[in-house]
Amino acid sequence: MNTPATLPFWQRTRLRMRKATWNYQRIDWSGYVFILPFFIPFLTFTVVAIIFGSYIAFNDWGIMGAPQFVGLANFKEAFTDEWVVKAFTNILRYGLIIVPGVTVLGLIFAVYVNKRWYFSGFVRAAFYSPNVVSATVIGLVWVWILDTQFGLLNKYLNMIGIPNIPWLTSTQWSLIGVSIASIWWDLGFSFVLFLAALQEIPRELQEAAEIDGASGMQSFWYVSLPILRPTISMIVTLQLIATMRIFSQVYMMTNGGPAGSSDSVIHYIYQTAIVRFRLGYAAAVSLMLFVVILIVTFIQQRLIRESVQ
Amino acid sequence: MNISTGFKNTLRRGNMKSRDLPIWILGLFIAILWILPFVWMVSTSFKPAKEVMTKEIEWFPRHVVLDNYKKVFEYPVARWAWNSLVVATVSTTLGVLFGAMAGYALARLNFPGKNVFFAVLIASLMIPTEMTIIPMYVGFLKVGLSNSYISLILPTIANVFSVYIFRQFFMGLPVELEDAATIDGASRFGIFWRIAMPLARSPLIAASILLFTLNWNSFLWPLLIIFEDKMKTMPVGIAAFTPVVGTHTQLEGFGIAMAGITLLSLPGLLIFFIFQRFFIEGISRTGIKG
Repeated sequence: MNTPATLPFWQRTRLRMRKATWNYQRIDWSGYVFILPFFIPFLTFTVVAIIFGSYIAFNDWGIMGAPQFVGLANFKEAFTDEWVVKAFTNILRYGLIIVPGVTVLGLIFAVYVNKRWYFSGFVRAAFYSPNVVSATVIGLVWVWILDTQFGLLNKYLNMIGIPNIPWLTSTQWSLIGVSIASIWWDLGFSFVLFLAALQEIPRELQEAAEIDGASGMQSFWYVSLPILRPTISMIVTLQLIATMRIFSQVYMMTNGGPAGSSDSVIHYIYQTAIVRFRLGYAAAVSLMLFVVILIVTFIQQRLIRESVQ
Repeated sequence: MNISTGFKNTLRRGNMKSRDLPIWILGLFIAILWILPFVWMVSTSFKPAKEVMTKEIEWFPRHVVLDNYKKVFEYPVARWAWNSLVVATVSTTLGVLFGAMAGYALARLNFPGKNVFFAVLIASLMIPTEMTIIPMYVGFLKVGLSNSYISLILPTIANVFSVYIFRQFFMGLPVELEDAATIDGASRFGIFWRIAMPLARSPLIAASILLFTLNWNSFLWPLLIIFEDKMKTMPVGIAAFTPVVGTHTQLEGFGIAMAGITLLSLPGLLIFFIFQRFFIEGISRTGIKG
């Protein structure tokens, strides 16, 4: 049926729109209205923000005054800035401690809870609970526990003959101190994902292996673990990205110190932008962080894929 | 479809053999160890200043006093809590509503561009949010909206996880109920609001809890965009209770700090214990990383 040419333009358009198809079905024009309230802030605070951020990165910009185009100067400076180099090295070191810690412990705890022994409900809640509190809580509680003289941890270590360790006040230990708190905080996340994945594995599979004479450990290693590979890969990826963005624990516990030994990239960006008002430089370092995260994620996924084959 | 059934099963007890006993006890021991930092936090918060820094480990306060809490309230803590509550509630409500609408459209409605739209959403999860923080900071500053509720709320209302949760749910929901309403001449929005949403109780709870915790605990953005003490959110306000100045630890500070964070962690922990299964459900469905 053709649209009658005698109708006014807007009515013709309306009829044509009503009959329009996509994917061999009528188009629901209301779909656009449904996504609009989400789409506008999403566009503004993600897409536009990233484009704007890239623009700032090529400029010299303080809080006052107009931006001044400086080309690649910010990036050149960042490559020779020893604090930037240190911050990037540190986030890789954080990754090397926190990611394996969270993955391995999360898996072990999930396997335990999945046994559904007595009190497993309590155990599940206990392992997950640190994940629901804010960085302020994590930071302050661990600053107190890791306190060199009066901290709980050192007191217990003293009991077994280990002298006081300056967890947060020495260049040697500060990164490890922050990592301990981070593992405690982040573990709930990997734990829950592993638990969900384990529950998908049919019990019969393990039971069959055990009837065939496999020990609990063997049936876990040869039956469950291969099934869990995609989950492990996902957790390592997500946790690695999250760890390279580490900020609030560092801010709360050490402020990046002493001498930048626990500094992270985001913390450095924060200081550059807020304390020194160098917005262009801060945006340039953010852009570098984004690229580094992409590269590291890519390499890590390659590695995981290869180890599977 | 009841998405929480999987977790009810966890509570069903498995068979325990006598050889499992040592591992069972070890697991319980580690679980108790895991929550000891919270116990230590609460215990310290009730100690008088002089009994905080002691030679011996004192799990139970010799004297239980409320001094630290009184000192905490010398700061505008009530105001911070109010700010946090307003911001987290509005952010969560809008985030869930807009997420549900977008999720519904992606699952049910047929319109060009929706596949691209969904792909962009998923790709955006790979972008570290911190990359957008400097441009957002500059933007809010230049527009003159910094240091306000609006600056805290606006960036949070487009939450991809909320969209994702609802999209997954509506894709699994049979379409027949809605068809009947379509024949009766209900509008699209009417169908969404009166028929689809009342059925979406479990994703609604999961998304609300997830977003509320995320918003309540948000740290970097409020730290950047708020300059005035009375406009601070609770996590940022209480962060200033840190007793460590450089490498020097102030002797009495930890009591007040622990009282502050005990108050701060209460809402999160309470919500978690009440809605535990929805909580864990939401996270394992989305793979969210806060």
